[in-house]
Amino acid sequence: MRVNFYATLRTAVGQKTVELSLPDGSSAQALAHEIARRWPALADRVVDAEGGISRRVHFMLGGRNIRWLPEGAATKLAATDVIDVFPPTAGG
Amino acid sequence: MDLQSFGQSMAHVDLGAGDVEIRPAPDEWVRKFIGARGLGVRYVLEAGPDVEALSPENLLCFVNGPLTGSETSMSGRWACVTKSPLTGTVTDSHQGGWAGARLRWAGLDGIIVSGRADSPVYLFVEDGKIELRDASEVWGKGIHETVAFFQKRYGKKNLSVNAIGPAGETLCRFAAWLNEDDRAFGRGGTAAVGGSKNLKAIVIRAGTQKSRDVDADAWKKVRRQALDRIRDEKNITSPKKGGLSVYGTNVLMNVTNSIGALGTRNSQLTSFGERAEAISGEYVEQNILVGDPTCHACPVACKKEVEIKQGPWKGLHMESVEYEPAWALGANCDNDDIASVAKMIDQCNDLGMDPIELGNALSMYMEASEKGWVEGNGLAWGDTLAMIAMTDAIARREGEGDLLAEGPARAAEQLGHPEIAMACKGQAVPAYDPRGLKGMGLGYATSNRGACHLRAYVAAAELGVIDVEVDPLEWQGKGELVKVFQDLHAFSDSLDLCKFSAFAEGADEYAAQYAVARGEPFTADDVMLAGERIYNLERYYNNLAGFGEGSDTLPARFTREASTQAGSKGHVSELDQMLGEYYSVRGWKDAVVPEDKLRQLEIP
Repeated sequence: MRVNFYATLRTAVGQKTVELSLPDGSSAQALAHEIARRWPALADRVVDAEGGISRRVHFMLGGRNIRWLPEGAATKLAATDVIDVFPPTAGG
Repeated sequence: MDLQSFGQSMAHVDLGAGDVEIRPAPDEWVRKFIGARGLGVRYVLEAGPDVEALSPENLLCFVNGPLTGSETSMSGRWACVTKSPLTGTVTDSHQGGWAGARLRWAGLDGIIVSGRADSPVYLFVEDGKIELRDASEVWGKGIHETVAFFQKRYGKKNLSVNAIGPAGETLCRFAAWLNEDDRAFGRGGTAAVGGSKNLKAIVIRAGTQKSRDVDADAWKKVRRQALDRIRDEKNITSPKKGGLSVYGTNVLMNVTNSIGALGTRNSQLTSFGERAEAISGEYVEQNILVGDPTCHACPVACKKEVEIKQGPWKGLHMESVEYEPAWALGANCDNDDIASVAKMIDQCNDLGMDPIELGNALSMYMEASEKGWVEGNGLAWGDTLAMIAMTDAIARREGEGDLLAEGPARAAEQLGHPEIAMACKGQAVPAYDPRGLKGMGLGYATSNRGACHLRAYVAAAELGVIDVEVDPLEWQGKGELVKVFQDLHAFSDSLDLCKFSAFAEGADEYAAQYAVARGEPFTADDVMLAGERIYNLERYYNNLAGFGEGSDTLPARFTREASTQAGSKGHVSELDQMLGEYYSVRGWKDAVVPEDKLRQLEIP
């Protein structure tokens, strides 16, 4: 699946877009753990102390924060999905 | 400077008579309405809600808050409050930089301007005194040249120049004051009120002063608590680490685009697709960023100074590429050329105009041109050279620019198609599409100064930036949330602290700092009560000015034309349902404050 990183997360990853190989049907939570494994400096920003998705990161699937999808962190991802990953962002 | 005596030194300037008098604000007003926004609205009410905005009788109030210029973080703010020539409502707009702080250090808490001068004048403020001086040499000049003129005359050290440009002089209805070249009283057309009074500038000279009359230990403690929140790495305000500090406000571009909340082509679409990246904060940071300027007492440094390195505007050095103008002049106009966006923001800074209103005027005219509804040459989507030429024409009211200088709402009305103006109460919408961020839409509709993102920044909850986190597509519960944000911001705008302080601080921190500054107990509940009182005072003014039941609306595009793009696809704004909730928690009858509510809140 294709993962796009934004803002300070992009700086840590070093590029905007990364292709990650996760089994079809992997959960959004599994994606968070894969990101933490690939980029240890991001571990505490994407995974919380209980192993869930941290509140300090937002995974967008089809423009929807997975937090608001019915299955939340357990939302299943397809190999063809594009995920946008943001740190908290606001301004105005 | 003395914090506890805030409100004792209000300068009243009658431009017609040439008189200046310094006297205190009524104690009751300061107690009830705090300062800056709240106190300013109370003054403006004195001229009567029927006053014509561009008449000598309208009051133009420049008001500090009780914390302006103090050592408190993010306290470099002051307010300009008047009756708006754009909306006909009361309006307030806030500047950063140092002008407000220097006014305080010069010994004044505010300047209340009335009348009209026979010829162009400026106000010179120093050592507790304020004088009218001849401005004929700079009338007609751009703001950059005006600032340079006064810096040459008075020296750069400790000097703030708050000026109007040609757009204010020609009474463009969205003309803006700017200080130090680039910090704006942006919204509501306050500089047209300055132009109508022949007031070109306020020049302030004052060195830094420290607060003298507070409990030093308590003052240090409450300021430290607030600063710790701002510095906390989990907050976006964290210096050099948080997204707001690193990328500035334009860190928002990609996220609103991703969730289908980035109005595009005059809000006909809700996403700019892959092209948003080219006008985003990430792109700016990687390609054209050259500096991170800041305001008085602010460790966040969200301003972004850029230099254009190629193309027709190569060498342009300016600040600041913010999210709002990057959206208004970018995606909203189908333009993904960041250099042209920077050029037009700099034009706004020099001509003295609000870039949000400008971008909406241009995008409305582009849609009208595409549909064959204009008589002149019209304007094509994303035609940057034509946009830049039109920006100049608007400020000078030349050709088709004269129509657009009226603002998009009036201009669309004159074209016979009011439905293509994306405006509430005559003021154009900012950069959050109400179909993708439902609470922001309710905030636009119920804002007392016309469409505005800063009256209730519900996006902080809808985007998951603060502890309270809500689904942006859910309408239920947004009525109560919008009220809480409106009341909290009404208070912080009256202190006057930067709106971005709310990303790290809350009512507890505001109350603690205000209590020490005033030398009196003040609680978080008092914060929310004062904020509610100020919000209701504004609504009371607007009700008297003719904004009654049915006046809280959104453009039909947001309530009837469903989004077709990812994130918000299929959604419209459920405004009527949200308004029902909102009026219930406000205790209002539709858009009107009832008598019992006024009595309960001791208004006016």
